[in-house]
Amino acid sequence: MKKRKSDLTFLEKVVRNRVLLFMCLPAVIFFFMFNYMPLPGIYVAFVKYNYRDGIFGSKFIGLDNFKFLATSGQLWTLTKNTILYNLAFIILGNMLAVFVAILLNEMQSKWFKKVSQTILFLPYFISQVLVGLLVFNLLNYDTGFVNGILSSLGMERWQPYSDPNVWPVLMVVIYLWQQTGYNSVVYFASIMGIDGEMMEAAKVDGANGFQRIRYIILPSLKPTIVILLLFALGGIVKGNFGLFYNIVGSNPILYPTTDIIETFVYRSTVQSFNFSTASAVGFYQSVVGFVIVMTVNYIVKKIEPDYSLF
Amino acid sequence: MKRKLAAVLLATSMVAGLTACGGSDAPAADDGTVADEDAAADEGTTADEGTAADEGAAAADSGDPWADVDTSEHVVITYMTTGDTPSGTKEKYDEMMAKLNEILTEKVNAELDINFISWTDYLSNYNLTLARMDGTVDLVGTASDWLDAWPNAKNGAFLELSEDMLKKYAPKTWESIPAENWELCKYNGEIYLMPEDNYAQWVNHGFTYRLDWAKEAGLENGVHSWEDLTTYFRYVKETYPDIIPWDSDGTQYATMVGGWISSHSNYVAIDGINSGAMWGGTKDDLYTVYSPYMTDTDSLVEFAKMMKEWDEIGVWQTDVLNNTAATNRDDYRVGKVAAEQHHTQTWTDLVSKTPANTIYQDDADAASGFFWFGEEAKNLTALSITHGAMAISAGSANPERALMVYDLLRNDPECYKLFCYGVEGVSYEITDDGLRTTPEGYNQDTDNINGTTNYWWGRNDDLEIRDASRDWDTIDALYAEYDGLKIEYPYGQFVAEVDAIQAQIQNINQIHEQYMKQIAFGKYAGTAEEIVAEYQAALEGAGINDVTAELQRQFDGLYK
Repeated sequence: MKKRKSDLTFLEKVVRNRVLLFMCLPAVIFFFMFNYMPLPGIYVAFVKYNYRDGIFGSKFIGLDNFKFLATSGQLWTLTKNTILYNLAFIILGNMLAVFVAILLNEMQSKWFKKVSQTILFLPYFISQVLVGLLVFNLLNYDTGFVNGILSSLGMERWQPYSDPNVWPVLMVVIYLWQQTGYNSVVYFASIMGIDGEMMEAAKVDGANGFQRIRYIILPSLKPTIVILLLFALGGIVKGNFGLFYNIVGSNPILYPTTDIIETFVYRSTVQSFNFSTASAVGFYQSVVGFVIVMTVNYIVKKIEPDYSLF
Repeated sequence: MKRKLAAVLLATSMVAGLTACGGSDAPAADDGTVADEDAAADEGTTADEGTAADEGAAAADSGDPWADVDTSEHVVITYMTTGDTPSGTKEKYDEMMAKLNEILTEKVNAELDINFISWTDYLSNYNLTLARMDGTVDLVGTASDWLDAWPNAKNGAFLELSEDMLKKYAPKTWESIPAENWELCKYNGEIYLMPEDNYAQWVNHGFTYRLDWAKEAGLENGVHSWEDLTTYFRYVKETYPDIIPWDSDGTQYATMVGGWISSHSNYVAIDGINSGAMWGGTKDDLYTVYSPYMTDTDSLVEFAKMMKEWDEIGVWQTDVLNNTAATNRDDYRVGKVAAEQHHTQTWTDLVSKTPANTIYQDDADAASGFFWFGEEAKNLTALSITHGAMAISAGSANPERALMVYDLLRNDPECYKLFCYGVEGVSYEITDDGLRTTPEGYNQDTDNINGTTNYWWGRNDDLEIRDASRDWDTIDALYAEYDGLKIEYPYGQFVAEVDAIQAQIQNINQIHEQYMKQIAFGKYAGTAEEIVAEYQAALEGAGINDVTAELQRQFDGLYK
């Protein structure tokens, strides 16, 4: 089968797969319009942008726009913070999502399943701004809910906004609270797609619930997990600005553990409105992201060629 | 094979999506800017050719300065200002705009629309709107010190206003502004701004405080130094435990330290380089550039210590740095806080027994004093005339008509009063002494227009009507004191070229925020000496000395 296919010319292949290709078309057009057509705009990262001259008419200044990031002396800390947070988000997020999806799948009562899915899903729709306010009202020292309870129990008040060390945990918890419901949907859907006969066969063979999860569901989810991980890794240098900015705000006490590339760049450039430096930073993040995707994909390919992207 | 092909496509598009994110806002901003600008410039020069004979004849005898301008097409002129869209007063606002537009239509066949850039992230949104250059805005309220007037002029956002254009389309404005003031609105020999140069106001910052409480605290003459403030805050915190002395938010750090420095030195800051105004000269030696943030180490250490003391007193809330929802000024009006840090203009409101300031109704003894930054060193610089100015967007399709509308808003008494105070008899009334008061049945929450159109770019003392509710005796006394001490803003002609030092300035901004926030709210770990040393080392690492040297070089070019 493989051999025969590779003998075909490109045109023959196109004709043979016309229906599939036709179905791809909307996505291809979408990506072309929104991801490929703006690509030349990257050039703005290399010019001194002037509103009237436009991107390609503005003066070319080479790598000057990258200078501020490189000379800040913070590039390493920022990249490290960004990547570590994203790693925690990706790994814990996916693990929890798989776990939740399996739990949902095992639930017998349909009503209970729907209700819990909805409740899990709900935080996803709350704007980050509100999440930030919510967290502040829970945790702040003078009037926060948590501190209200602590002091009424006669315990010492807690000062999270003056303690950088608690934030890595807090950020991850907040992220998981917000995203797990959404992330679990994909896994839940692929569990739904597992052949029912396999499950029944396992049942007949006497496999209990845990064994079915261990030997059927998890292996069936593996390709989905790997692909989602690979996708997520591409964005690993892109920080979640909304989350960090709204929750940490610009409280410099917390910067050592919460400052990511986005928030740093925002603070540095918000005063000097500048498309070019912003694009330069975006470009830097994309290049690093590209390198990471390629590397990880290469590793995956070595280990399990079937699961690699390309 | 097919799967592989699809996967490659998918992966590349994903990576491309990532890269495009950074650059994608730029192409959108770019479309058709060049064409627009050309068209605008053309119109500027050719408009007088089509003298529209019939209209000219009709209007000639009324002394209309624009008799020979073709205004046959009705246009909408959009004026962009920072501030929030009126909500409670919406009805009266609409009514006022309808009346104003009637007049504008009659006089120049145009109507005005206001594009409010709300205060949340105003600077980014303001600049983004300007960058669109698609004719979204015509008149742009701007400022050289707080709204990026010069960077925008350099970026090509503003239209060059030729003398002929100004004479023709904004004749009254042209005449009323003296030549030396026009000089201060030029960059590279071109006029970009129309300054608000005939409006007395003081926007030097300081603390408005409760004079009655200061007296209780033993400060008989009120607060006249930072040390007095410490005494005052300590007293308030001890005596009125329910009151937060000053419910600040974290953004006030730059004004605080700036105020401290002008109170303890002869520093005169250069506007518009960064929001910290970290470079300048001294009163005795105006044209030698330095940064007090690097040189005045002892003073900064003292500042850090005092702010730590304030923090321990409990002047502000413990989580002040995360406090973004402070409503301190309104809280001051109703007596929930004991101080407000803002400029003199705000104090003139807070000191007056207006209906909104209920502290004066609740407590007959209540009074407000003002401790201005610089008082101790008698260091006061008058406002630059481009603290408020109007520019024309280079993307405007109707720059001539925009100028005509501005000329009316600035100089025509009828338009001015409507725009600044609303409809007479509804939103204001004029007393027998010629002061402005509120009519019977007036409700501040629904009827007020004054201050809601945010017209800070063309107010005119010839047409201003003083507000009867303001405490003018007190205010005039302070103004007189100021006038005796002030020096004029010395750097009006200086527009810094920052391209070569942009990276340094960006990093300095970041460092200033990161460290000064901790210093100014006493939230640093370790000693005051250590944090100031760390701050200065970071500034030096970011290249603050290069910036100083570069500014000196540019100063030498201009002033020597």
